[in-house]
Amino acid sequence: MSDLLIIGAGPAGLSAAIAAAEEGLSVTVIDEFPKAGGRLLGQLHQEPNGEWWNGIQKGEQLSQRAHQLGVTIQCEVSVYDISQSKNGWEVYTTRGEYKAEKLLLATGATESPIPVKGWTLPGVMTIGAAQIMGNVHRVKPGNSCIIIGANVLSMAIANELKLCGVNVKEIIIPKADITSNEAGNPEQVLSSLMRLTHLAPTPILRQLGKIGKMVHPKIAIRLFPKKGIRMFDIPLRLKTAALEIVGDRFATGVRTVNIKANGEIDHTSEKVVDADFVCIAGGLTPLSELASIIGCSFKYIPELGGHVPVHNEQMQTNIPGLYVAGNITGIESAKVAMAQGRVAGLAIAADITNDWEQMETSINKAIENVNITRDKALIQFHPGISDARKKFYQKSEVNLTQISKIKKREA
Amino acid sequence: MVVKSDDNKIICRCEEVSLGTIKDIVHHFHCSSREVKLRTRAGMGYCGGRICRTIIEKVVQDINNEKVSNESQLSYRPPIRPVTFGQLGGSENDDES
Repeated sequence: MSDLLIIGAGPAGLSAAIAAAEEGLSVTVIDEFPKAGGRLLGQLHQEPNGEWWNGIQKGEQLSQRAHQLGVTIQCEVSVYDISQSKNGWEVYTTRGEYKAEKLLLATGATESPIPVKGWTLPGVMTIGAAQIMGNVHRVKPGNSCIIIGANVLSMAIANELKLCGVNVKEIIIPKADITSNEAGNPEQVLSSLMRLTHLAPTPILRQLGKIGKMVHPKIAIRLFPKKGIRMFDIPLRLKTAALEIVGDRFATGVRTVNIKANGEIDHTSEKVVDADFVCIAGGLTPLSELASIIGCSFKYIPELGGHVPVHNEQMQTNIPGLYVAGNITGIESAKVAMAQGRVAGLAIAADITNDWEQMETSINKAIENVNITRDKALIQFHPGISDARKKFYQKSEVNLTQISKIKKREA
Repeated sequence: MVVKSDDNKIICRCEEVSLGTIKDIVHHFHCSSREVKLRTRAGMGYCGGRICRTIIEKVVQDINNEKVSNESQLSYRPPIRPVTFGQLGGSENDDES
């Protein structure tokens, strides 16, 4: 039995493991994937200062540090059920049962699907799957591809695919219907891209951000060229919609059509664009199924990517002994996830030793660091994250007794 | 130019339930996403609804003109990953799925 079991060996889980182990806890980390690192494994992009963010390297550094501190990391372990007992947690996995006093869910995010007609054909994959094939498994999914879905994630991965030698023919949007939501509305897509911060990872996005401060998206989308704009030399076409993915036994291309700013379809422009594979990019949403079967309360917060388990700034959920960190608490960058992981690791250490007073300064410092990291984040997946978080934490019903005692004494 | 309907596109891949089927059920029975699941098996296949759950919820909410609620109608149930009977029974090295 460990003091702490962490589910998910990504940036949040590994950072939490390090923080907790540094405080002397015995920690085990399990992950479904064959390799530790989580979403870091796919990440490769250039920061505004010109330096490359190499996620694989970062993940290895975290794993190494965790190993040095005696953390056990086990991969290819899938959790299928969890129960709570008097002594802590019992976690049922494809590799047997794990027991721990405290439990941290750092399961990250999952991709939201957009069901485009023909999406069940072989050769159609989510944008994240293409990223994992290229960056982790070093397999090129094909020589040419079309990406359906224009958002921060798809644009970042489009560039990674290009670095893998894939000819990314175009980034287009899905046809508007009941399943595609805002992703199929040119104005809303442009509007969400324009709200990106000035720190956005590409010059073109920074430009869009500047324009966004001066021009209303309604006007900007009318001015948006039909042929699209080029980003990393990849055409971003917000006025082209995917009608269906075509192919007999496997995907061979996409039937596309021009649309007007208001979404009206110009059927005369219909054509088929060939591609070896097709990526669908519907964005990310917190992967919270384990929190759900444990019985956590949830809150729907669009700015955070969907339903998130109710938790406080110390990363405690409304279930005693259960903590969350990383993208399960809302879609943000890996750096924010790492900062949150540290908070969770320290809070769990305080919880186990029952010495919140001793840990208070370091926990508060770690929380402050989460906020600073969030404000400096390169990629804001959804606009308004900071405000949504503040509101959420103010209203948070999670007040662990120890924490509230400290607060009361201060007051 | 004939505009082809999207109603035959698949929503639940495991159980091969189309968008049209889901729409018809909601219109006919004025029902919740949970009832759609029980009537069509959408979201009840091998993957346990990991892919289509959010789409089913969205389609039903849109047709019924409902807001997104804090708690999901389509609850998660263990086992949340496909496991073999051997694994369920406690055999650690049963990979013959």
